[in-house]
Amino acid sequence: MIINKILASYTFRFLWAYVIGLSVSVLIVLMLVYATYSYDYFKQLQGAVADEIVALEEVYENTGFGGLERFIGEKIEKGELNRFYYLVVDQEKRKLAGNLDDWPIYRRYDDGWLEFHLEILSWNDQKRELRFIGRSEEIGDGYRMLVVHHHGEFRGYAEAIRGALVRSMMVTIVLGTIGGAIVAGLSVRQIDRTNKTLQSIMSGDLSDRIESASMRGEHKELALNINLMLDRIQQLMEGLRQVSDNIAHDLRTPLTRLRNQLSDMQDQAVSDREDRVQPLIDEADGLLSTFSSLLRIAQVESGSRRAGFTRLDLRIILLDVIELYEPLATDKAIKFVSSLQAEAFINGDRDLLFQAFANLIDNAVKYTPENGCVNVELGSVGEEAFVTVTDSGRGISAVDQGKVFERFYRVEASRSLHPGNGLGLSLVSAVVKLHYGHITLSDNQPGLRVEVRWPLVD
Amino acid sequence: MRILLIEDDISVADYIGKGLRQSGYSVEHCADGEQGLALAQKSEEYDVLVVDRMLPNMDGLTIIQTLRAADNKSPVLILSALGEVDDRVKGLKAGGDDYLVKPFAFVELLARIEALLRRQKSSTSETKLKVADLEMDLLAHKVTRGGGGFNLQPREYKLLEYLMKHAGQVVTRTMLLENVWEYHFDPQTNVIDVHISRLRQKIDKDFDQQLLSTVRGAGYMLRDPEIQ
Repeated sequence: MIINKILASYTFRFLWAYVIGLSVSVLIVLMLVYATYSYDYFKQLQGAVADEIVALEEVYENTGFGGLERFIGEKIEKGELNRFYYLVVDQEKRKLAGNLDDWPIYRRYDDGWLEFHLEILSWNDQKRELRFIGRSEEIGDGYRMLVVHHHGEFRGYAEAIRGALVRSMMVTIVLGTIGGAIVAGLSVRQIDRTNKTLQSIMSGDLSDRIESASMRGEHKELALNINLMLDRIQQLMEGLRQVSDNIAHDLRTPLTRLRNQLSDMQDQAVSDREDRVQPLIDEADGLLSTFSSLLRIAQVESGSRRAGFTRLDLRIILLDVIELYEPLATDKAIKFVSSLQAEAFINGDRDLLFQAFANLIDNAVKYTPENGCVNVELGSVGEEAFVTVTDSGRGISAVDQGKVFERFYRVEASRSLHPGNGLGLSLVSAVVKLHYGHITLSDNQPGLRVEVRWPLVD
Repeated sequence: MRILLIEDDISVADYIGKGLRQSGYSVEHCADGEQGLALAQKSEEYDVLVVDRMLPNMDGLTIIQTLRAADNKSPVLILSALGEVDDRVKGLKAGGDDYLVKPFAFVELLARIEALLRRQKSSTSETKLKVADLEMDLLAHKVTRGGGGFNLQPREYKLLEYLMKHAGQVVTRTMLLENVWEYHFDPQTNVIDVHISRLRQKIDKDFDQQLLSTVRGAGYMLRDPEIQ
């Protein structure tokens, strides 16, 4: 799990690509060094062979074949110290002098250089396969001279260097991968922590902050900046909330006065007027209730009610809500069925949960046609309690499902049919969030299915 | 009946004072917390105190705590603006008897004040309630009218008990929710009306005299039509 996460992390992939890239470039550099080195080596070798040939030709010109034979003999005497090998042959390729036995089978390059390999008995009587490079020259009188120099050591060095190169490359890659995984692991852990905090902040409590004390470097800076950003967001949201609260609050007082004056008027009016005042009072009551709902949602969203959370049994609250709404359903000949599990304890606010269930069940009853059915279920899965409210009404289209939690949003079709202020589900959603829960809407075919989940407590 | 109103918002105080005077109460108003406490302590004759939570010099809860510590038992109705955390719980813990969130309809305030006055009068433990020929035996959990009994659901019984205890006075929907269902919430629909009409079906249907009536714009009232 964590391994997969590390392997999939951007840091790890970046570091791994870096290690590979670095290895390739080091390889290229070393290959260049190798090429330059071997070029120089062969250049020197060729120079030495050419010099030797010039020297031998001089000896031959000055002292003839006898002198040359003697000279070569002396050179061979020196043995290992002298790394040149010689062969002088006549026109029939018979050996006349030198320490090579036969004219070898060689490869001839365009520039006149020859290359071949031979098994040579070394000074301690061990056979060694050596590679040679050299030239052959006519030295007059039909004699041919072959001067070669072995470059076996160089091959050996080259092999060793290549081996070391490949091995160190492997080690680099392996160590780089492990190092990358460790670095990525550390980074994944810190980022994971930051993400978790951010998710919890987004799902509810805006006052929460990323704990940055244990972080270092850029992570710490990032965390600090995110915290600053959260401060700003919180300030802005509080400002916005303040403004809307103030509007709702400031308008409620004059509205109340208006309503009460209308009520006074109704008391004193003659019977004909009385009927005309009532719609005005109803209108004022509607507005007041909208403002109250707005303020209540704002209060719930502020999270301050969490301070009063207590351990409660959802079953008891649901039974009370069901009991309250059952007559309403019966009046519409709606089949109202509930199946509640024995108990389900969560931490919460009794009144707000009651309000949320009441809104859901009220909606279900309201939007279900006569003779329809409404189901309420309480259960638990793992560490979560769930409550589902399903109805057989017209349901909510997938497009609207995401929007009905927005304030004042009303499904177009219901706007004219059912009175309401479009705040009921906003309040439900705020209450669910306050209780660290999740709410999902889905199609009940026909109708709407609302499912709410909360973490259970013991 | 004397009411002491401690409220610093002059427009709210004017409107409450005017309404209460029209309803036949004598109202004294004070806009300062300390002075309000002094007034309440000086005379124990107030039948009800209406106290705002936020006041200059001394907040409403301190006033109530001080009074209760001095064994002053006058019923207190606390007024508060919506928005503060479990205000209601704090208010009632401090010794308040009822709690009303501003702004409110005057009928709501009046109904609650009358309920507090009634509670004061009949705090003795009654075992029987009677409104006209409707009788409720609190010990036997039995309700009868004109000799015949009713089969009431537990909640219907509780609803009727509350209405009978407040017979002759207006009871608002929120008062019923708070006292019968014991939840503080905003029902949005006429859900209480349905319960009332069910109860009415049981206790009033077969009788000429209708005891349970709807008071438009305010709530309900259970009363003996012979009285008044």
